[in-house]
Amino acid sequence: MAGTASLRWRLLAAVSVAVLLLWLLTAWFSYTKAQHEAEELMDGNLAQTGRLLLAITQDNEDDLGELAGRLATVRGAADNVYEPPLEFQLCLGDGTILARSIGAPDLPVLGVPGYSDILRKDGSWRVLNVVSGDGRHRVQVSQSIGLRDRAALEVAGQTVLPLAIITPVLLLLIYVSVVKALDPLNRLARDVASRSADNLAALSREDVPNEVGPLVAAINRLLLRVARALDNERRFTSDAAHELRTPLAAIKVQTQVARLSRDAAQTTRALGQIESGVDRATRLVEQLLRLARLDPLNVLPNPQPLDLLPLVEGTLANVLAANPALTQTVRHELPQSAPRVFGDADLLGIALRNLIDNAIRYTPAGSTIVIRQEDEEGGRVCLSVQDDGPGVPDELIARLGERFVRGRDALAEGSGLGLAIVSRIMELHGGHFSARNLATGGFAARLCGLVRADRDAAPAGA
Amino acid sequence: MRILLVEDDALLGDGIRAGLELDAYAVDWVRNGEQALHALAGHSYEACILDLGLPGKDGVAVLKETRRAGDRTPVLVLTARDTREDKIGGLDAGADDYLTKPFDLGELQARLRALIRRASGSARPVLEHRGVVLDPSTKRVTADGCEVMLSAREYALLHDLLSHPNHIRSRAQLEESLYAWGDETGSNTVEVYIHHLRKKLGADFIRTVRGLGYQLGGEG
Repeated sequence: MAGTASLRWRLLAAVSVAVLLLWLLTAWFSYTKAQHEAEELMDGNLAQTGRLLLAITQDNEDDLGELAGRLATVRGAADNVYEPPLEFQLCLGDGTILARSIGAPDLPVLGVPGYSDILRKDGSWRVLNVVSGDGRHRVQVSQSIGLRDRAALEVAGQTVLPLAIITPVLLLLIYVSVVKALDPLNRLARDVASRSADNLAALSREDVPNEVGPLVAAINRLLLRVARALDNERRFTSDAAHELRTPLAAIKVQTQVARLSRDAAQTTRALGQIESGVDRATRLVEQLLRLARLDPLNVLPNPQPLDLLPLVEGTLANVLAANPALTQTVRHELPQSAPRVFGDADLLGIALRNLIDNAIRYTPAGSTIVIRQEDEEGGRVCLSVQDDGPGVPDELIARLGERFVRGRDALAEGSGLGLAIVSRIMELHGGHFSARNLATGGFAARLCGLVRADRDAAPAGA
Repeated sequence: MRILLVEDDALLGDGIRAGLELDAYAVDWVRNGEQALHALAGHSYEACILDLGLPGKDGVAVLKETRRAGDRTPVLVLTARDTREDKIGGLDAGADDYLTKPFDLGELQARLRALIRRASGSARPVLEHRGVVLDPSTKRVTADGCEVMLSAREYALLHDLLSHPNHIRSRAQLEESLYAWGDETGSNTVEVYIHHLRKKLGADFIRTVRGLGYQLGGEG
């Protein structure tokens, strides 16, 4: 729990250290101030007493012998720390002592008028010499510095004492407040910790402090994205499993037909159908795997400048080799000077192949399928596969890149994944897949937004 | 016994058709929703096998439309989706039964027989008339306990007549029941099969109603 990462302990440490420092500062300041004030007070006391005694001396110059004795009997309790005893010496202007208190120190009486500290081995004294206006009388009042310091310390100590009592209480209050203030965070942590892996519901914003609000909002946005991604994943898995059921059903039914049939020709035919069914299921699985491999990618793993012409010619050769009994004409119209583009040769080959396969699948015998290279704005390049077939219903065109969406009346079986793969490949190339029916009849499918990597142009980003 | 098969998948459709033809059904196979509606409107079928996942107009839409049009052909739905919602949705749209892909051909045939039997208003699994018993599940016919060997067409014709015991079946009706689209039909093939059946089951087992068609002979 403790450690630098704990907000609670960091807050507590910072606030407590600050409070303690402040307390020390205040205590020191109060202490010195109180001490100083106590000194001033006692000095004032010294001055008042000095002037009083001077007046008495002037009035009763002859009768002073009794004064010391009388004062001695009314001296306060010596143990009262706030009353450090005052000693005095009353004398004439020439230094003749008329009277002195019993405990008065033996100090020279003809000192400079005013305050002075006299430090001696047998004791240090705070001394005030007062002289009458005509210079005929002098009074010396003195106080033991040791006792004065004790009194001042006592005062200062009493001033600081409440602070010393308040500080632990203050620290306790700070601790409780911090713990209390961080409680919503703990609740949040418990909420998240107690969740099962599939609970991706948004975190509650109730009782969440403003400072944590943005974090909770960000987490909720993340949860939403994760939930969506997970949802897509689940739907895809489920769709994929369902898509596999049809070829499996076909294989199963054809197998049973082969077993039940008593006609050798029919059995042979059913066996052939089983083989096609297995081929189709295999192709579906291959395409699913291809999509699954493309799905987690954000960028092309290995983009290279590649020549469009050999790419198109190579793909075309593959198509023709795979369809020896092709009833349509498939050709390309790329010039010898066809540009280079950045991309992955394998993936672009697959995308182009899928478009050509689709064109073959959805056009009747005798159709012509042409591959062209078109220039786009911004120096980008596009490959198009055009046919003169019946086209695609308009309401279907926008959904063509979705998974498991098939054209109608397919003349051959498709997995419904081909264009989804094309879309994904084009996304990875920073481009997109587009399709439209042609005004002149027929259908054009295009790989758009390929980035040029011409020989004379500096290869951007390479 | 003519069946409409609505299945867009070439391999599966081909397999089901072959499997049903083994059971002496005449199968019309269409591959999308529009063709299915067209076929249902133009012909009478003993039953329809309908894949729900059709391109374009899907199976549920076809089902709703035919039911709205008052068509009562028993429909067995094929679906790749096996959640409860999918099944309920199909049945509520007007299907009589469903099968989840992949399925067993034998089960498809049995369910089809049950559907046709229920639609004809009979709970009995065998058809019987004057000691002649036809068991659709084994495709065996017996007369007074002795097995009678019939060709597929003869069997189909007898099945049709036994399924409509108190009706006069016209030649056109019988032909439609016997042949799918594209089957070769001669000008007097129904008469030929009737003749064969009379030879095997007795001359008065099937009565000719002049100018109208054929009917099972009276009891006794």
